[in-house]
Amino acid sequence: MLRRYHVVAIPIRIVFNNFGDHNPTGAIYVLKENESTVKKRVKKNRFTPVELVQPLTIRANEGDVVEIIFENQLPYAAGMHFHEAEYDVLTSDGANAGLNPDTNVETGKTILYKISLPYKGIHYFSDLGNVSSSEKGSNMDGLFGALLVEIRGSWWTDPVTGERQSSGVFADVHHPFLPSFREYAWFFNDEMEVNDLTGNRPINPETNQEGVSFHGVNLRYEPLANRKKLIDEGVVCPEYEGEEVHHDSWVFGDPATPILRGYRGDPAVIRLIHGGVKETHVFHYHVHQWLSDSGNTLSEIVDSQAISPQSHYDVQPLYGLGSLQGAIGDTIVHCHLYPHFVGGMWGINRIFDTLQDGSQVYPNGKAIAALQPLPDRAVPPSSTKQKPGFPNFIPGRIGYKAPRPPLSIVGGRDLTELERNAAIPNARPGAVFAEPSLGNPPVVEFNVSVIEKKIVYNKQGWNDPQARFYVFDSDLDDILSGKKEPEPLVFHVPAGSSIRINFSNRMPEILQGSPFQLLTRTYETGFHNHFVKFDVLVADGANTGWNYDSSVLPGETIRYEWFADTELKAFFLHDHLFPGAIQQHGVFGGGIIQPRFSSFFDPKTGIEKDHGTQVTVSHPIIPDYRDFSLFVQDFTMLFDKNGRPIEPPPFPGSEDDPGVFGVNYKCEPLQFRLGKECDPAYSFSSYVNGDPVTPILKVYEGDPIRIRLLQGAHEESHSFNLHGLKWKSERADMDSASKDQQHISISESFTFELEVPLSGDYLWAFEDEEDIWLGTWGLIRAYDQVVDDLIVLSDRPDPPPRTKPLPVVTGNPPAPARLESALPPGASLYSPVRKYNVVAFQTPIIYNAYGDHDPFGIIFALAEDVNDIRLGKKYPEPLILRGNLGEIIEVTLTSLLKFDLFPFQDGIHPYPTVKKQAFYPPSVRISLHTNLLSYDVKTSSGDTVGFNPDQTAGPGEVITYRWYVDGAHGTCAMWDVADLRNHRSFGAFGAFIAEPRFTKYLHPNTHEPIHTGGNIVLSHPFLPEIREFVLVMQDGVRLEDKHQKVIIDPLDGVITKPGEPDLVDTYDQGSRGFNYRSERLINRYRDHPVLHDLFSSNVFKDPSTPLFEAYPGEVITIRLTSPAERRRAHTFHLHGHKWKADSKDLNSRVQSFVGNVIAGHTNDLYLIGGAGGMFNLPGDYMYRSGNIRWDMEQGMWGILRIHDQVMEHLPPLKD
Amino acid sequence: MGNLNSINEMHDQAMIDHFINHIGERVICFMPSYPFMFIGGIKAVLGDVVKIDVETTHFAQLEKRDWYIHIHNIEVFYIEREGEIEIPKLDDFC
Repeated sequence: MLRRYHVVAIPIRIVFNNFGDHNPTGAIYVLKENESTVKKRVKKNRFTPVELVQPLTIRANEGDVVEIIFENQLPYAAGMHFHEAEYDVLTSDGANAGLNPDTNVETGKTILYKISLPYKGIHYFSDLGNVSSSEKGSNMDGLFGALLVEIRGSWWTDPVTGERQSSGVFADVHHPFLPSFREYAWFFNDEMEVNDLTGNRPINPETNQEGVSFHGVNLRYEPLANRKKLIDEGVVCPEYEGEEVHHDSWVFGDPATPILRGYRGDPAVIRLIHGGVKETHVFHYHVHQWLSDSGNTLSEIVDSQAISPQSHYDVQPLYGLGSLQGAIGDTIVHCHLYPHFVGGMWGINRIFDTLQDGSQVYPNGKAIAALQPLPDRAVPPSSTKQKPGFPNFIPGRIGYKAPRPPLSIVGGRDLTELERNAAIPNARPGAVFAEPSLGNPPVVEFNVSVIEKKIVYNKQGWNDPQARFYVFDSDLDDILSGKKEPEPLVFHVPAGSSIRINFSNRMPEILQGSPFQLLTRTYETGFHNHFVKFDVLVADGANTGWNYDSSVLPGETIRYEWFADTELKAFFLHDHLFPGAIQQHGVFGGGIIQPRFSSFFDPKTGIEKDHGTQVTVSHPIIPDYRDFSLFVQDFTMLFDKNGRPIEPPPFPGSEDDPGVFGVNYKCEPLQFRLGKECDPAYSFSSYVNGDPVTPILKVYEGDPIRIRLLQGAHEESHSFNLHGLKWKSERADMDSASKDQQHISISESFTFELEVPLSGDYLWAFEDEEDIWLGTWGLIRAYDQVVDDLIVLSDRPDPPPRTKPLPVVTGNPPAPARLESALPPGASLYSPVRKYNVVAFQTPIIYNAYGDHDPFGIIFALAEDVNDIRLGKKYPEPLILRGNLGEIIEVTLTSLLKFDLFPFQDGIHPYPTVKKQAFYPPSVRISLHTNLLSYDVKTSSGDTVGFNPDQTAGPGEVITYRWYVDGAHGTCAMWDVADLRNHRSFGAFGAFIAEPRFTKYLHPNTHEPIHTGGNIVLSHPFLPEIREFVLVMQDGVRLEDKHQKVIIDPLDGVITKPGEPDLVDTYDQGSRGFNYRSERLINRYRDHPVLHDLFSSNVFKDPSTPLFEAYPGEVITIRLTSPAERRRAHTFHLHGHKWKADSKDLNSRVQSFVGNVIAGHTNDLYLIGGAGGMFNLPGDYMYRSGNIRWDMEQGMWGILRIHDQVMEHLPPLKD
Repeated sequence: MGNLNSINEMHDQAMIDHFINHIGERVICFMPSYPFMFIGGIKAVLGDVVKIDVETTHFAQLEKRDWYIHIHNIEVFYIEREGEIEIPKLDDFC
């Protein structure tokens, strides 16, 4: 079917909320039919939001062809670039890339885009005519939207009127055979210009400083700062603090941000879209869970989703609105990064239990808009005086905080008559209006308190004097007396249990002021949980919308009831009343729903226990396992032993990345682990420095383990890497890809299930540079002989008795690893052996034709190439090694590093910086670590960690590693572990590609065999020839320009505005690019200051980043990795092509982006349909970052060129 | 054994006969479909369907009732016999 839309890009004033916050120079896409209406309404409503000023959301069906007439009324050239769609890149790319014609249009002009839609789902679109990362950039200003592609045969109606509609973020979608559902488009966006009613930047009333940057949803935001002003002025509930009532509609009425309305049980899909430019947000939706890949029943169940710019996900709540328990009420939907949440990035999913026909009102007298029942579902009962329905049975008072729930507070009130009419038959404390439990399940009851007590994080005395955390009441005395060390609360419950919590607030009412924070009256708190089933009105541990305030005052106890219907991973527990103020002090924990019939034991004593971050789990049928929980945390507000604050913000109360990092209330900073040799190569060595204070997860060789990975606080992305072990990315699916790295943001939860094959010390680390520098790492220690402090799993053979003494601290570096004849796990004596001779050395690297360069580059290269690289005959590129399934790989590494060739002789790496800079002189030793392959960590991981032998090579020394390719894993990241602070930013990384058995590697131009390279042809006896392109995404690079001046990116690369230094976090510092190349747009702009021409090879030469070439239809695999090094997550996007989200899983979704790319990430993109997309169309296709701020300008882009005729230098592939 | 024409028919009938021969015994069986696992006593075999008095599955709500299970949809099973390994008695919080 052919559909047509006429879309206009217009400049528009965007008002974000009823407080008049606005962007005076916004830009949006609108349908032509709405253009005059929206302009008129905006002109009339200068300080209130206009419904039509939202991200344009249009719809089509799978299989449709859509023609878009795009008209540009903006003062700069603009276009529409569609993700996921199939199109002719020469006519409909919405860009001006490479040698293509320009498909942006100038002001006042129009263009016709024609796109085909073979797949359903979200088709994001945005502008590429103006990618400035300043506030002048189009994406920053709101120029994005989505084409939602429905199942073939669908139609859609307005949820209020029931009439057909042409656009809108909300729609009811219908189908002749399938259930109707509510569809809600939810666009995060960030960094937009925002002025207040007076035309000035908003001031935070708490700090009297400029507020945080814009973080909103659907071009709306509802920050605490505005609502707090009403409290401060005495307009509403003057005795309250602010954060505890931020989301309370009883106090303020409903927010301007989206309210997703439906009836209990309605099927629904939230189209989650990141239209912003910089931050990786976390979408969290209370009460509900969904499959992380909605079409793949074996994918993980999640209730939080990290999302990086220009990526998108379908959120299809299981059991429909209200989940299994049929909850009614307001379920908050928000970005879980607290500064964003407090800053206004939230909305509500409102679930009604009575029919809304337009005649009802909210308690504050505001009309409730009609809501059409879905046509294939029973019509909800009408409201009556006795049963008015949510929210009108709740005895609240307008202008005051929501009431406490009935029955729940110990010693609290009974039900009112209206509440009793609305209640379930057996209403009880913590379960009043929805029945959370199925049948008559076994009950577990826990008594938990939240307390304040100083926690010391490391041996150097770094401490949080106002740490706040959850404890079991049974541990209270031991914790307070110091007999027991605090750790995040984790309890274990078998599936199928009803969990009853008696939660007491034992915190002081006041959070004292400090260099980090202003004094805050945090007088109430809740115990909010994820994943399990509960009655949201009374057991949310929160205060949302028209719900009750289900928190508790100091000295009081509240009861919650939760139900675990099935085995789950760890679920997150935290405060929801003052989390912005106290969660970073440690107010987080987890519950783990273990398999039914399992029992839990102390791993040291074997005594049964029900809580702890480390337990041993026994089960009558499935194998026993060790269970470990790791909580990473940031914004950790520590003081040193002398009481000096560590990394305080510029002023108390600032959200400008205060503090440092930790794991389970511990940290082990590298600066304290230099040893007497002052060599970073031994920072992880327990021989030199003793074991870290961070968790050491103890196992016996061969034990199964489960790692529960969570993030407790507070705002940032982290990258968990586990060296030498791997897991299936989807636990239930043996077809899913193997992984050993995971991006994580706050509130996400992951379970990794694996076995530890060999003894040794395995490094786990949140391994971006700054995290690990500040101590977010530890060990898995696998013993080969019995030890006293670790019980044996009941179904595993007894380990041999101890004959070797346990290693001890010597203060000296360990002996070199001796590889000898040992085979890696899985290898046999008959495995073929492939050998590589690798040299690590320093050499200048030229990043682009404008002379931006790294004069101090550190690279790995094959020995055979070293001279050519040194002589300039061969350009340096990240070392790419390959091996085939079943092969043993022997890598001999020689170090030629020289101390004099580092740009800092005082031992402090000056740029890019990290927090808590300190003396840490660069090591001249180096190692090579690869992920995903099989090896003995005592010889071949490249990790001199714990009590492992030395696996680094010093100047002139040689070390040999032996790896086994135990799967066709595709991309494996490689990097140096000898000096994670000083080496990676200079290029000490590469990639290993694990190919299928019998694969041969050919030069793309000659088809002769080659040994390395990022652009090769794969030849296989059973498969077509394949072009393999390797892309190494890198950031944190120290570059100098042609005048030898250090480039201070990202701000030096911003095109249209001078820098704003206060906006740049440490982890944004540094230049970035692909494969030791960076096509920074600022260089081009200086030559030719026309924004929409900056990607054009007709105006400029081709970019310096890799130019990949192919012919239409040729098979292409892209190997993507990001071994280095910063904490900012990136999105990768390739124009006009798509691939399976999980390269090994045919059931996984199709997408044209890779999100959450961060240090250690690996991925394999098998392009569906081959070169040129499914229609095999020639042209230039951009590959690039999705982060407008600050990646694209800074050079993170390149071109895949599909030639329409045979080129002399490029022989076509054989079929 | 009736009139069997192929190895597949013989295999299928042997499976059915095996369950018939163990009516009254406890069985644990795993299936690819929900709810994936059953433990209980074999009460009868009707055609190629076995009737099990299910004492345990993954989900308590589906227990303590008879289930009719297509024998050829069972991927793995074990029937408890005297003197052989016992199927564990699974109790919540035992």
